[in-house]
Amino acid sequence: MKTNSLSFKIISRILVFTILLGAGIFSIYFYFSRSEIEKAARANAVFLAENTIKKIEEVIRPAEMIPDNLSWMLESGAIPKDSIMPFLAKLVRNNPIIYASAIAFEPGVFATGVEAYAPYAYRKGESVETTNLWSPDYNYFIMDWYQIPAVLKKPHWSEPYFDEGGANAMLSTYSTPFYVNQQGKRVFGGIITIDISLEWLTEIVRSVKIFETGYAFLISRTGVYVTHPDFNIVNNHTIFTRAEELEEPELRTIGRDMIKGVSALTSIDLKHLGFVWIYHTQLPSTKWSLGVVYPHNEMFAGLRKLTFTILLLSLLGLGLLFLLTIRIINHQISPLSKFASSARGIALGNFKTELPQIGNSHEMQDLYNSFEFMKRELSSYIVNLQETTSAKEKIESELRIAKEIQMGMIPHIFPPFPNLPEIDLYASLLSAKEVGGDLYDFFLLDENRICFAIGDVSGKGIPASLFMAVTRTLLRSTADKTKSTAEIVTSINTTLSLNNDSNMFVTFFLGILDIENGELSYCNAGHNPPILIRNNQEVSYFNITKAIPIGLFDTYVYTGERIQIGPNDQLFLYTDGLTEAEDVDNKLFGDELLLKVIREHASASPKAMIEAATKAVADHVKGHTQSDDLTMMSIVYHGKQRK
Amino acid sequence: MNVTNQSIEQGTLVTIDGRIDTTNYTEFEQAMNQLFNDNVKAIYLDCSGLTYISSSGLRVFLTVQKKMMSIGGKFLLFAMQPTIKEIFDISGFSSIFSIFETKEEAL
Repeated sequence: MKTNSLSFKIISRILVFTILLGAGIFSIYFYFSRSEIEKAARANAVFLAENTIKKIEEVIRPAEMIPDNLSWMLESGAIPKDSIMPFLAKLVRNNPIIYASAIAFEPGVFATGVEAYAPYAYRKGESVETTNLWSPDYNYFIMDWYQIPAVLKKPHWSEPYFDEGGANAMLSTYSTPFYVNQQGKRVFGGIITIDISLEWLTEIVRSVKIFETGYAFLISRTGVYVTHPDFNIVNNHTIFTRAEELEEPELRTIGRDMIKGVSALTSIDLKHLGFVWIYHTQLPSTKWSLGVVYPHNEMFAGLRKLTFTILLLSLLGLGLLFLLTIRIINHQISPLSKFASSARGIALGNFKTELPQIGNSHEMQDLYNSFEFMKRELSSYIVNLQETTSAKEKIESELRIAKEIQMGMIPHIFPPFPNLPEIDLYASLLSAKEVGGDLYDFFLLDENRICFAIGDVSGKGIPASLFMAVTRTLLRSTADKTKSTAEIVTSINTTLSLNNDSNMFVTFFLGILDIENGELSYCNAGHNPPILIRNNQEVSYFNITKAIPIGLFDTYVYTGERIQIGPNDQLFLYTDGLTEAEDVDNKLFGDELLLKVIREHASASPKAMIEAATKAVADHVKGHTQSDDLTMMSIVYHGKQRK
Repeated sequence: MNVTNQSIEQGTLVTIDGRIDTTNYTEFEQAMNQLFNDNVKAIYLDCSGLTYISSSGLRVFLTVQKKMMSIGGKFLLFAMQPTIKEIFDISGFSSIFSIFETKEEAL
């Protein structure tokens, strides 16, 4: 798929959006899950610790009851002195948790004169042995287990210790003072002890398992490890030596809190375990402290696994979405490429090109209708264009023919009178459009007289050309050797004026030159005065009587004039297309420039003079579109030549 | 070219600015035809702003003149620039139209 294709663009945007949306939702989910798990884990740590404490207390409390009861029995004298030893043995035998038990008497309490007596029952293999603890080598009065409860006057649990050679197990001794009545007074009688094996304790604490590496541990009042998953640590390390060894100063702080009996949840980053939560709390009976270690990373292991699964599924889902979207989009936009090829077909002029079959989608239906519309419109447009073009070509062809006819009406063979050496004549007519309203004409009235005329119909184009044709025809039909110029012009005017509703008019100059004697009679109907060049140098305008153009008022009577011209005098007649030729800035060619050009070519032949004027006009307009018909005629009189 | 009309006591004062040539003479013709439709009896044409007139434009002037003559109305031109006056003179139209030097003379 090309990267700039429509389907790629749509799909890439959808995918980016979906991924962003998914990532957003998932991040929120992950954050809340984490905090929920953490909350649950904290609660669970506390619960686990409290539950373990409860289990331990359930064992310890009944064990403490035994010496407490014994104390009461001794004080009340319920046990005869001679049966104390067997009683102890029975007590030990009947309580599997108790490894040994002793009753250590104060001097003179057991019997007057007996300074020290401590009956002791202990397990030896399967049986229970009894003995007197006291010996000269073992002065129990200075032992911790005796002195501490004696001084404190309350029960005491000893630090755990390993009974080497005896129980060969971890033990802890519970010592409680007892009292007797002597001479009616209640006095301190001694200490009752029980030695309890701590293996059950280890079992309870070790049974606490948290995830993979989480565990519980117990330390004594001095910080000695009572239980720990690592047996080598138990009784050999305090939490403080452990902190030293692991180089974890924070562990020392936790240890101090634990010894103080604080219950708290703290976190610590341990080098060998990573980040862990530790909840610690005190055993109410022994004042030992239980710690529960919660590994942080493992806490979220489930979440990580779930996250991984979700991501995998999302990836799979995105892949499916991608494929499905490609399929849908390609299916939906496939008509587009077919439309494109149809459009090419239509553009090449094949309006029968079939439009593609499309589905029922609203947009495609619209496109289809638009294409169908375009096809129809183009087709009808082309037909129209062809008709218009052929009509235009027809008109143009007709105009060309009209131009030929119009040009055929005016004489255009030069020199026109090769048999008359007295005169030379040249004329030119340049229409602004195919056909124009200018005219010139010349013809012989008899062997000595030449009639010539120049005219300009108002307006241009076909209407002007028709009017020009009528005028020229009237001139030819009216002019004869019997009429004067004024009579000819007046007659043409009368005929033209009748039924001239369009108010078109012709400025018209008519002259008759007698080549025998140089007499020039003329009549001017509103036309630009011609230029007369005398002796190849004197240039001047004709003096003319003002008269209106022909074709306007049928009763108008024109008057003629006459002048005498001599040999080599030359006439220059023109229409206002010459003097009013405009350049791009609408600046007119003008009379001044015309007179200048004529002066410069005062001795030129009629043809050369007209060509010079034509060139001067062309130089003036500099390619600006010719706006009016341009007509010039020049006649030079050479004087009488024939004898 | 710009043609404006203004009703005055004596009739209608028409002012032409710019050129009347083959390309726009029909606009001028339509403006004048509108005046005929309104039965205007006297037209005073201010030519002071007229800079050029072609023969097509002259034809419209003639049409107006003939029309006004036929209904017994007046068509008066005034304040022509010299170049325009020259065209009227050369073509002999000066003898057909009533042409005045100033507006005051025309009125």
